[in-house]
Amino acid sequence: MDTMQSQSVLSDTTGLSGVYEDLRQVQDAHGYVSAAEILKIAERRKVHVRDVHTVASFYPHFRLKPPVPVDVRICDDMTCHLHQSHALKATLERKYAHLPEVVRVRDISCLGRCDHAPVMALNDRYYENLSLTDATQLIDHEIALRDSERGHHSAPPRSPEERGFAIQCDPYAGGERNYALFRDLVAKRNTDETLAKLKEGELRGMGGAGFSTFIKWEGCKRSIGPQKYVVCNADESEPGTIKDRFILQYLPHMVIEGMMICARIVGAQRGFLYIRHEYELQAEILREELERVRAMGLLGKDILGTDFDFDMEVFVSPGGYICGEETALMEAIEGHRAEPRNKPPRTINSGLWKSPTALNNVETFTHAVTILGKGGDWYRAAGRPGSPGVKFVGVTGHVTRPGIFEVPMGVSYRELIYDYAGGPPAGREVIAFAPSGPSSGYLPASLLETPLDWDKVKGLGSMLGSGAVVVCADNACMLDMALVAVRFYRNESCGKCSPCRIGTQKLVDLLESWTRGEVRAGDQAMLKDLSQVLRLTSICGLGQIAPAPIQSVMKHFPEMMREHLEDRHCRAGVCFGGAV
Amino acid sequence: MSEHAHDPNALMSVTIDGHEVQVPHGTTVFDAARLAGVPIPTLCHQQNQTPVAVCRICVVDVGERALQAACIFKAEPGMVVKTDTEPIVQARKTLYELMLSDHPSPCLRQQQSGDCELENQAEAAGVTEVRFNKRAVPVLAADDSSASIHVDFSACILCDRCIRGCAEIRNNNVIARQGKGYFTTIGFDANEPMGNSSCVSCGECMVSCPTGALTNKKVLGGGRLYPEDTPNVYSVETEELLELPVFKGVSGTFLELNAGSVVKRVFKAGETIVREGENGSTAFYILDGTVDIFINAPREHVSTEKARPGLFTKMRSLLQPKSQQPREEERATPSHIRIDAPVDLPYGDPIAELHTGDLFGEMTCMSFYPRSATVRAKTDCVMLEMLRNVLDVMQKNKTFRAQLEANYRGRALGTHLRSVPIFANISEEFVDVLRDRVELLRFAPGQVICEEGGPADAFYLIRIGFVKVFQRRGLDDLVLAYLPRGGYFGEMGLLQGGVRTASCVALDHVEVVRILAPDFHEMLDRFPDVRGHIEATAAQRTRENVILQQRASAKTESTPLQQFLEQGLMDAQSLLVLDLERCTRCDQCVKACADAHDGVTRLLRDGVRFENYLVATSCRQCRDPRCMIGCPVGSIRRRNSLEVIIEDWCVGCGLCATNCPYGNITIHEFDATGNATALQSVQTDKDSSNTNKVRKATSCDLCHDLAEPSCVYACPHDAAHRVKPNEFFTQVLGVDLDKEAAFVGKNR
Repeated sequence: MDTMQSQSVLSDTTGLSGVYEDLRQVQDAHGYVSAAEILKIAERRKVHVRDVHTVASFYPHFRLKPPVPVDVRICDDMTCHLHQSHALKATLERKYAHLPEVVRVRDISCLGRCDHAPVMALNDRYYENLSLTDATQLIDHEIALRDSERGHHSAPPRSPEERGFAIQCDPYAGGERNYALFRDLVAKRNTDETLAKLKEGELRGMGGAGFSTFIKWEGCKRSIGPQKYVVCNADESEPGTIKDRFILQYLPHMVIEGMMICARIVGAQRGFLYIRHEYELQAEILREELERVRAMGLLGKDILGTDFDFDMEVFVSPGGYICGEETALMEAIEGHRAEPRNKPPRTINSGLWKSPTALNNVETFTHAVTILGKGGDWYRAAGRPGSPGVKFVGVTGHVTRPGIFEVPMGVSYRELIYDYAGGPPAGREVIAFAPSGPSSGYLPASLLETPLDWDKVKGLGSMLGSGAVVVCADNACMLDMALVAVRFYRNESCGKCSPCRIGTQKLVDLLESWTRGEVRAGDQAMLKDLSQVLRLTSICGLGQIAPAPIQSVMKHFPEMMREHLEDRHCRAGVCFGGAV
Repeated sequence: MSEHAHDPNALMSVTIDGHEVQVPHGTTVFDAARLAGVPIPTLCHQQNQTPVAVCRICVVDVGERALQAACIFKAEPGMVVKTDTEPIVQARKTLYELMLSDHPSPCLRQQQSGDCELENQAEAAGVTEVRFNKRAVPVLAADDSSASIHVDFSACILCDRCIRGCAEIRNNNVIARQGKGYFTTIGFDANEPMGNSSCVSCGECMVSCPTGALTNKKVLGGGRLYPEDTPNVYSVETEELLELPVFKGVSGTFLELNAGSVVKRVFKAGETIVREGENGSTAFYILDGTVDIFINAPREHVSTEKARPGLFTKMRSLLQPKSQQPREEERATPSHIRIDAPVDLPYGDPIAELHTGDLFGEMTCMSFYPRSATVRAKTDCVMLEMLRNVLDVMQKNKTFRAQLEANYRGRALGTHLRSVPIFANISEEFVDVLRDRVELLRFAPGQVICEEGGPADAFYLIRIGFVKVFQRRGLDDLVLAYLPRGGYFGEMGLLQGGVRTASCVALDHVEVVRILAPDFHEMLDRFPDVRGHIEATAAQRTRENVILQQRASAKTESTPLQQFLEQGLMDAQSLLVLDLERCTRCDQCVKACADAHDGVTRLLRDGVRFENYLVATSCRQCRDPRCMIGCPVGSIRRRNSLEVIIEDWCVGCGLCATNCPYGNITIHEFDATGNATALQSVQTDKDSSNTNKVRKATSCDLCHDLAEPSCVYACPHDAAHRVKPNEFFTQVLGVDLDKEAAFVGKNR
């Protein structure tokens, strides 16, 4: 049995896979990646210069020009926006306008810390629950530092995540995390029986699609190929989505064991746990756990004396929401631009390096372990009648106790928002909520009794998604919130297909003109055409879903929209120059 | 997707808009529709490229939630496809509208040939207005750096056809997408301007492009090189060109578009093909035959001396061979004269032969320098004569590059290396060692070859073109030198601690020979006298640079003083000044100058003004000696004292005279016997057929053999004076310039 420390299968010498490590090293050493360094990387890896540059220029994490000494980036996506991050950013921009050579204030996409909004990245370190005073102090301190002291990669400060409740889904809770389920499966080789248990537990894809996990794993098992892969999508980047961060931090053993079990079932030899680069702490925790598993002899060749070989590694994403799209994620691992592929082929037949690949969300792997450890009956019964299972849900926005909660399926959104997350701040009323970040669109407060149930939320033209509940109180403007959501899609569009690349920008243009009170006669017809073309012709879910926020606001908040379009009135006082 | 194995010969039935058609398994919906006679519009799909399905124009309804791109979606047995439902037609219209909203209509392609696929398809689809806002910020400025292809990013719809043309069809792999989302564009290599990239100008991208994003650049207005029916000039068919190895891999359509820019010419033995000093814009490639290439002008320079004493005191200009008037030269006489051909001419007997497969006139063609030598057919010859767009294609062609490099390594590297004085003594054996190790690199105008402060990792010899050597001083560049063909650089950094002491940038189309640091050091170790020479040269260059830097950093509060310093007057030895308050513009000075110099004046009365003085000097030693740029034979250069001198193999083309901003260089014409002919024009509009005349460049000599310059002597108004600059301007400015200069030097 091979107990040596595992090497990454990604090449550190030639080809494009592993190219991000080179780019990161250069950026760490020089602060940015120059054209000359790109040439060197291409020469060393024996690839074309254009192949390195096309990748380096795709991921905003890589700077191709020397950075300003103090790089201030403020998230202004849904939850941070609800916490006035736009005003914070505008104030900081004004405050440091006289130091253009030293300070740059700009946007950054959602950092997955919505429960601590607003969030700032200062020279790649993250600061949470930020007030203007805090931000100013931090920035002034950074300015005062001499160049040599200005680390670009010091460890980010963390806030305690513990919320003092016991996690129910962990079969190892209170005991030794000894991977007994995996050991048992390897010893007994009862893959069909194991699959049947997952079917019985009615496990669904927890990344948002809600697709049956049993069908996916069985499909991948049947798919023929000498090499197969298991991939865990831990790239959660959608505004409001923070649950995977919690799971990765507190239940790393379940995620890893879930992947190992999946590998044994589908016959994969290699696994990648694809994590967003901003989750530095979680990546560290996962690497430590992997070393522990390896020390137990559960990874490597001839595991537990059988002929089963499997090893896995943590793959740190070069960044971008689009990497969460499964085929884009695979492109990223292969060292390409994270552009979603045309489907078919499906990834269970032709995924990573064209090999059969089982890709699932963090929570899906976690719950596979729950079902196998505690039984399908326990899992189903853990939910409210008619809605089997449990779910991790993040509740953020206009609530007094934002956070991540493990809840039974079937619980109502009212309970989630009021009982779990403390309800809106005093004197405020909830007017809307997004069941799952921008992708689900917004639902009105009148639908708060809706249960957390895949089919029931879908029936409302929305989706349960990844369980990223964002709450808007009556001081939010829903047109503004639609614009914020659409801007996110515009910023995160990969640019591969023309409807999404151009359409999301034109949609932002249109909504921005509405918030300025510029409404033209054909605007509504134009919005309809634009929404149609995005939904029907975009290659992937990002473009297809991009019109959802404004469509849902048009549908559920007609009076508010009428006031904007006809009366030039914004009751929240946000539009028409009302906000900063 | 179906994973069942199919009988490879079995057909399946697919229905497209009600037409049933039998197609093989694996057929795309797009191809099935074509077979069914149903055309599906598309922008990004081409039959000879792998489908990418990014434009989404070809979307069809295959019964799924979203529409699918027909170009990539595989048909399945029994599939029913609809291509023209209302939602599809509307979605297509909106897609055209989206693309048009950021597209300059009519784009260049539409203007040139009316075949912009986007504009034409949109019109056919009934798109009459564009409702969306235009792009607020232009995506990227147009890129005009390539000699043959114009890039207009605003017209690009990111269909990836050029990318696939470049990679899949030609295997060149230069173009890729760069950036992300709405700010994605195409890019060349690491986002270089196209002309600076490794693009070989095969033209495939331009032929693949559906819009005006990549269009053909016509040179000289797209006209033909010669009128039709010119004797001995024949048009060449594209097929004939494509059969030549040097055009292998080039797009035929692209060559057709440039058909007028290359012709075949036939010369009889003894016929002159080009003449030294003439202007031109073409290069020649010898398809068959042998030519002589030589410099006709005598290797002599203009010398002015006092004539016999007589009634009038006059100066007399003569052509003097170097041997008769040894010039004080700090650097050894070069053994070879560099010309615009793949050979160097021996100094003593400047003639060489070129053969089938040789190219000459590259610098004239690419950068419009005058012809550096005369070429005469030795045998009957057949040539391709071409303009720069075609030359560019050929020069970048892999086959031609290989041939050119082999020739260079085989026969030119040795003489090239040894004609650099410091390498004069290296052995043939060591040249053999270097032959396989040196690299030939090309640089486009403006491209940086090496950067001040960067690692000194190589030594460079210039094969073609001009290199500007400079140091960055705040916003200004301090030009240390313009190095011509045959020049070399990089030794300073290699000898002094491994850091580049200056930046070097290509002024025009430049090719350099790179000798890497280990080879360079090996050379120094094996040939101690080479080391001695190089160290002496490096020390000399250091001294020169210090003087230049002192001058450059001489910034003061006083504007007139600033001007004085900037104009380099501080360093001049002797100046001629005309007091403009006294001067009546009678031109007696000009006449006197002409009288004194065989009827050719060297004084132009509209020189640089300083306060109320017009200043004429022998050489201003400009910070930016533009006279040196472009000399086809490299015969004008800086002496070690920084004075500009004109070497005796000047071919009299007049380019330096045109380039000198102060009018200090003039062209003398002599008859073939060496006597200056009277009253010749000083400008460069010479009669090129006048072959018994010899032209040489010269600059004002302040009549140094006379007691007083003729112009001063002749001035009836006491307006002209010969002065020592510092004394004179100390009075004018009220500043002690010697002290000031010392101060400036100290505080550098």
